[in-house]
Amino acid sequence: MRRPLAGRLVGGVAAGLADNLGYSVKPVRWAFVVFGLLGPGLLFYIWLWLTVPSADSTERPPALARLAPYLTQPSRARPLARLAAGLGLLGVAGLIAATGAGLDLPLEWILPGVVLLAAVWLAWSQLDKADPAAPRGTFSWIRLGGAIALVVLAVSLLITRGSDTVSVVAVLAAGLAVLAGVALVLAPWGLRLLAALGDQRAATAREAERADIAAHLHDSVLQTLAVIRSQADDPAAVRHLARAQERELREWLYQDRSEPGQSTAAALRTVAGEVEDLTTVEIGVVVVGDHRPNEGLSALVAATREALLNAARHGAAPVSLYAEFSPRQAEVFVRDRGEGFDLTSVPADRLGVRESILGRVRRHGGHAEIRSGGPGQGTEVCLRLALTPPDPAPTAAQEQVSPARKAKPSAEERVSPARKDKP
Amino acid sequence: MNRLRVVLVDDHSLFRAGAKAELGTDLEIVGEAATVDQAVPVILSSAPDVVLLDVHLPGGQGGGGAEVARAVLAANPAIRLLALSVSDAAADVVAVIRAGARGYVTKSISPADLADAVRRVAEGDAVFSPRLAGFVLDAFGAAAGDVAAADELDRLTAREQEVMRLIARGYAYREVATELFISIKTVETHVSAVLRKLQLSNRSELTHWAARRNLL
Repeated sequence: MRRPLAGRLVGGVAAGLADNLGYSVKPVRWAFVVFGLLGPGLLFYIWLWLTVPSADSTERPPALARLAPYLTQPSRARPLARLAAGLGLLGVAGLIAATGAGLDLPLEWILPGVVLLAAVWLAWSQLDKADPAAPRGTFSWIRLGGAIALVVLAVSLLITRGSDTVSVVAVLAAGLAVLAGVALVLAPWGLRLLAALGDQRAATAREAERADIAAHLHDSVLQTLAVIRSQADDPAAVRHLARAQERELREWLYQDRSEPGQSTAAALRTVAGEVEDLTTVEIGVVVVGDHRPNEGLSALVAATREALLNAARHGAAPVSLYAEFSPRQAEVFVRDRGEGFDLTSVPADRLGVRESILGRVRRHGGHAEIRSGGPGQGTEVCLRLALTPPDPAPTAAQEQVSPARKAKPSAEERVSPARKDKP
Repeated sequence: MNRLRVVLVDDHSLFRAGAKAELGTDLEIVGEAATVDQAVPVILSSAPDVVLLDVHLPGGQGGGGAEVARAVLAANPAIRLLALSVSDAAADVVAVIRAGARGYVTKSISPADLADAVRRVAEGDAVFSPRLAGFVLDAFGAAAGDVAAADELDRLTAREQEVMRLIARGYAYREVATELFISIKTVETHVSAVLRKLQLSNRSELTHWAARRNLL
């Protein structure tokens, strides 16, 4: 059972209880009011208020968190101030009514009582602050000091009831002296307790983190190692398993997971992982910057996937993927170290694959080209997409990136739209 | 040609054994260490040409490879260090580079490429993996128009940016040189300049990454 933070009237007890029992809130509230007036309902309410923790709904979804969140104390803010103010007003009203009725009030008892109550409220509202080990603000120290001063004052007033000011001051001084002595004696013990509490907190947090890591290693790495052992005779399978596991572990260790569909960089990494799984060729991925996905970028990612597949199947390792997102444009380079290929001797089916790379990007207003440097130089697919459409920047950047282009016209190919229809 | 003298610092004995077997023909392994406390005296006493330095090491003040680099360079600035790690985290990479390493490669690098990188570092050049080049572009702002930084150390020149971009795309130095019509020596100069900026710049991204590893 939790006391919800939202939708509470006083302490969220009725709302929490109703939620827990499956009733609607109103009858539960009325029941508390009725039983509170009749008898022990108020005590029951206060007991629940003190013992039931508040719901904390601000946690990040576990699937997206990098590691298990550290153990935190649920926040237990209570509108105690309002309750105390209400009670105080009721008390004052009662007093006024009583004097009006002609009763002779024992003010020398009531005044210290009120002061004592105020002091207790101040002290207890402190206890309510979540973490006793956490450093306290100046304000909370002032409150604590105020509470102690008020208690001393109240007790002095009680003892010296009706006497003169001098004895009040004397009793005050005596009380303060006793308090100071007690504080001096208890201070080391209290400090040690605080330190031990902090240590214990840290240990619990470490323990939780270790358990989380152990659980992850069990689910992934240990399972993979078992599979690797059973397939030890097949080097290709072992290499593939090891690489896939490595990729997964790296992602888990070094990258904050992004919300699905929010990061083109993450999409590119996923695509590279898929191609690695399909072809068992290792792909080095370097991504600079990021951009929110849109229609054009989705096409770019799809084209990248085709380019990677092409490079992994027909080129030679190492295959590398480099993507760069600037505010103005996105660029993707897929490179392999194969023999390169002569465009005139490309079989028809492979030209089709190229169409799904180049055509796709061009249809979204991007630039795409394949550069082949001959044997040992490999092939590089360059994809470029402007991110703020009516912008002359991409063409300018294009010329800046590759001044070699004009010098080696035979080494590269631009697919004109007219060639799209060819098989 | 006399073989380069190398010290291997890595807390995984399996990795040390593998690297020794793979590099043994090209390089002379003159020392090994598994912790920060072992590494510093071993490196200083054997005075190797290059130290292959893992980023994550136990012992010392908990600073790992960066701590070793600082201690070694404080005692003998002539020693060259090449960081080697499985880690992808920007904080790790930047920390060890800022502590003075001349390059950063991942452990998935092929033995031939690693030997090549060691040789390059021994000659005083910087070694950038595609991933490190990616970090540099990320930290200094990939967009060419990003010239807000007043300090020359805080931004890359257009040429340096081009070089970094090509390295991130998987180009070797030789290929970068061909692509940009410049000599390999010029490429190396650009890369060394970028390394210097990476080590000395006060760009907030770099100091932020470094601070996370308690470097500053």
